[in-house]
Amino acid sequence: MNVSLNWLSEYIDLSGKSVQELDDLLTFAGIEIEGIHTQGVNSEKIVVAQIMEAVQHPNADRLKVTQVDAGEGTLRQIVCGAQNYKVGDKVPCALPGAALPSGFTIGETKMRSVESRGMLCSASEIGLIDKVDGLLILEGDPAVGTPVKQLFASDVLLEVEVTPNRPDLLSHRGLAFELAALLKQSVIPVETPEIELHRDADWIENDAAAACPFYSLTKISGVTIAESPEWLKQRLLSIGLRPINNIVDITNFVLHETGQPLHAFDAKKVGVKLHLRYALPNEKFAALNGSEYELRAEDLVISDDTSSALALAGVMGGNESGVSEATTDILLESAYFDPSAVRATARHLILTSDSSYRFERGVNPQGILPAAARAIQLICEIAGGTVVGGTACVGDLPVLTGEVELNVDKMNQLMGGSISLEDAEDILTRLGLYSAGENLWSVPSTRADLQRHIDLVEEIARVHGLDNVPSRMQGTFVPASEVDAAADTDMALRRSLAALGYYEAQTIKLISEKQMIDAFPLRPLQEGDLVKVSHPLSEDHAILRPSLIPGLVSTAERNVRQGIKALRFFELGRVFRHNGGGKSRDLESENLAILLSGPVAPDGWTGNANDADIYDLKALLSSLLPGREIQFTPRERDGFVLGCEVTCGDSNLGVAARLMPSRERALDFSSPVWLLEMDLAKLRKLLSRRAAVEELPQFPGSTRDAAMEVPNRVTAAAINKVIVKANEKLLVNFHCFDVFVDPTGVKLDSSKKSMAYRFSYRAADRTLKAEEVDAAHQNVLNTLVNQLSLSFR
Amino acid sequence: MKDEILRVQNEALAMIHAANDERSLDEARVVSLGKKGSLTALSMAMKDVPKEQKVEIGQLLNGARAAITASLEEKQLALQNITDRASVAGIDATLPARALHTGGLHPLTLLRERAVGILRRMGFALADGPEIEDEFHCFDALNTPADHPARNVKDTFYFDSGKLLRTHTSSVQVRMMEKTIPPLRIIAPGTAYRRDEIDSTHLSAFHQLEGLYVDRDVSLPDLKGTLEAFLRELFGAQTAVRFRPHFFPFTEPSFEIDVKLEVKGQAPRWIEVAGCGMVDPAVFEAVCQSRGDRKYDPEQVTGFAFGMGLERLAMIQWGIRDIRLLIENDVRFLRQFA
Repeated sequence: MNVSLNWLSEYIDLSGKSVQELDDLLTFAGIEIEGIHTQGVNSEKIVVAQIMEAVQHPNADRLKVTQVDAGEGTLRQIVCGAQNYKVGDKVPCALPGAALPSGFTIGETKMRSVESRGMLCSASEIGLIDKVDGLLILEGDPAVGTPVKQLFASDVLLEVEVTPNRPDLLSHRGLAFELAALLKQSVIPVETPEIELHRDADWIENDAAAACPFYSLTKISGVTIAESPEWLKQRLLSIGLRPINNIVDITNFVLHETGQPLHAFDAKKVGVKLHLRYALPNEKFAALNGSEYELRAEDLVISDDTSSALALAGVMGGNESGVSEATTDILLESAYFDPSAVRATARHLILTSDSSYRFERGVNPQGILPAAARAIQLICEIAGGTVVGGTACVGDLPVLTGEVELNVDKMNQLMGGSISLEDAEDILTRLGLYSAGENLWSVPSTRADLQRHIDLVEEIARVHGLDNVPSRMQGTFVPASEVDAAADTDMALRRSLAALGYYEAQTIKLISEKQMIDAFPLRPLQEGDLVKVSHPLSEDHAILRPSLIPGLVSTAERNVRQGIKALRFFELGRVFRHNGGGKSRDLESENLAILLSGPVAPDGWTGNANDADIYDLKALLSSLLPGREIQFTPRERDGFVLGCEVTCGDSNLGVAARLMPSRERALDFSSPVWLLEMDLAKLRKLLSRRAAVEELPQFPGSTRDAAMEVPNRVTAAAINKVIVKANEKLLVNFHCFDVFVDPTGVKLDSSKKSMAYRFSYRAADRTLKAEEVDAAHQNVLNTLVNQLSLSFR
Repeated sequence: MKDEILRVQNEALAMIHAANDERSLDEARVVSLGKKGSLTALSMAMKDVPKEQKVEIGQLLNGARAAITASLEEKQLALQNITDRASVAGIDATLPARALHTGGLHPLTLLRERAVGILRRMGFALADGPEIEDEFHCFDALNTPADHPARNVKDTFYFDSGKLLRTHTSSVQVRMMEKTIPPLRIIAPGTAYRRDEIDSTHLSAFHQLEGLYVDRDVSLPDLKGTLEAFLRELFGAQTAVRFRPHFFPFTEPSFEIDVKLEVKGQAPRWIEVAGCGMVDPAVFEAVCQSRGDRKYDPEQVTGFAFGMGLERLAMIQWGIRDIRLLIENDVRFLRQFA
């Protein structure tokens, strides 16, 4: 809301208060000042000066050296670059020490080695609107030395942010009242004549009393529509409103003075009866903003006996029924419209106005008729005309406020005893409440937000200020939660991944249909498993991600475009899906995803590294879960190659794959892109499992190597399985240390591969004899030969 | 014989001295101490030495052997030393490192961890809740009326089911009060969603850090003391903190908190960092109804709640001008936090 300080000063004496003081005062009362704009000249040190002489600057073509008379008795030398003046003109001169609106303070200086003691100013340089290029030539022959601010009205515009609970502040009078309470001053009253009220007017029919409990109309005949007087136009202009004509301007003025929206109809365009009703089926409304709106049955309109809507109650007047140049008689509306009804209409039609803004938040019931009286008075004064038959009304003014008890014990508890009851009572009194018994307070009609004890405490705390409340540092001990434990594990995991050369990404959880091609959820999605928002802002953010991979692929894609070759990213975060084709809904779980592509080491002078492959992905996982057996079991997934299930012991951790090569090409990846998405809950379990230490071996062990030729189709996992099956007690571990294939078939049949294993044997209680080791090794080899079609080399 | 021993010793020592590699040193050893070496030959001649001279000659021989052996060892070490030095010669330590991949944590993680770390040390336990929420937990229970401006499809992401993406992490307050009895002292970092176009200062999905403390006799001094201590630890012990009255539906009284940001070369300015307030009794009433008991009877317990935007804190902390940097994951950006 825009507030003019000049206008505000009509209702409260602000003399001696700086803008900064007012800003602080309001800010600490919970009323935020979002902007302060000075209009007009502010500095006393900008004075009228007459140019007595202007000669060419010796060192600069575009500058002149002037001698000006600023009323100081002697001439002042000022270097000036403007071209639009002649000697004898009077112009604004900023003397040394003058602060310009730009923040620049004038000093005495030398310009191209010529002394310059001040500055001749253009309009914009002193905070006025430029009409010409160059200096502001002052008309009307003002005396030299006169402060220029005396020639132009100045004002300060405050942009005030009013919280939704304080509709009483949405006017100049409202704000003045608040300031008066804070400053312990009183407001300057505005006298308005009594109103001649006729209740239960038979020509106003109200079919929507719930949405409009009180409605009044005043007929004023014989008005002359004209431009508003200067003072009125100035008031509206000062808060950024465009003057239209005297009647409309007066209704706007009263709205911004009192907070009560008013509307003026052209009486000749309204039938003999007025009807407050909800919109008819398919009813349309042509508003005065030139747009047509389709109404719903909840929208309240004001219509006449011809049945066409004249106004959308509390929101906007109609195109037809408004005041025009031809208007001679008007009907002035002042009413109470239900906040939720107005809000619903304004929101549905996406149509807000200064009126709807105030009705939505709730107007002061006791201000409705005084506002009408104020407008009537101004209309009669300014536009002529006379009131015909007083003010007609239907309904009753709602009573929204009552008496509220202040619980002193609870107040003292909450405030930490930082305020005395006397001071608290003083605050409430200043805010317009009055005592209605012991600790019972009667709330003024402007403050419908004060309904409960806590609302009174809030007012006391707000005005008292938290600065005056002591700080206490204490709190009850509570045990750590499961979330604490999970967060600690997650952080350890993040740090491990960072140490292994991966960057943590955080991507937006809303993704596009297009990105779904990269989705790699732990379990494939069925039709109906996606969680889609009903009204996405854009196609790019329409689906809650069922997988972290699409975000990581986009991340990688963005970095590829920046020339980054090593793409190593991880993300921990929530994924969302329905399950069973949408049967169980809104499932949220947490995953860890990894994307790996490009060289396993950065390029350098020692040579270039290979591109990462699936074994690097596996290695990463082994580093994260040291000492645990990670297994990748092939399981094809649509849209990916080399799809695998990732297991650790009997825990199914997640899925791994390479992006489809065609997709890699489409996204300009030059290396294979390896992906891993895992169930974070399962990973946490593995990471937090605490095992007891194993005794260290007391006796040496022995190793035996074996190289075997096996058909290509036999996997390492199959060989492992058979070795385990041998159930050889002395075998403590084994691993494959070489794989050899020869596609040419020269050194080895191309349908076969040679795999070399190293087996370690050891007993816990003795040093093994060579014969014992040989026998154990033979047992393993025999099992392998028996179970698999292989031969030893 | 005596002269002979001295001559042999001197010759051997000279030869050792002259040796300049392993081979010539070995030659010197063989010539003096080898099977056919000069000193070995003299030792053999001991048997012919008259008995009365044996002691003296023997001592001379042993002396010569010890001197030669010591000299050999010394030279051996010296030569080894030269070889060792030669083995690292020519290594240019100024060449760049053999490259390793660097990685790092996302700035939002770093910031959240710091903030959460301070609060956990102050005795708050972590909590979380669903991001797909219902209107009760996101609005109704938080004293937000059905026609509140936030509650519409223009500002909030709704689903066809009527559920919505939580617009703040405050819904976790309600969830936690439903399942835990007081005292409750929790923080809940998490994602919240608003239907805002993404630009340099807005994201449609962003992160908040929520806090709630409910117990008997929790008061404004507790709120003030706790949040001042937290913000001073986060922004620096000397940081000025101020509380401006504000309005939130679910707290009363409510405040916004500013810290005075002092950046070198800039005028100090107040920056809003958080919102807070005393839990509105209406919230406790809603929780009591939902729980079906009076554990959160507003006549018995009071509490304070606070919330802050983590992106905003990160932007303040590191002078990040465009919020989108926090979702783009550009390595050139992330690298700066590694």
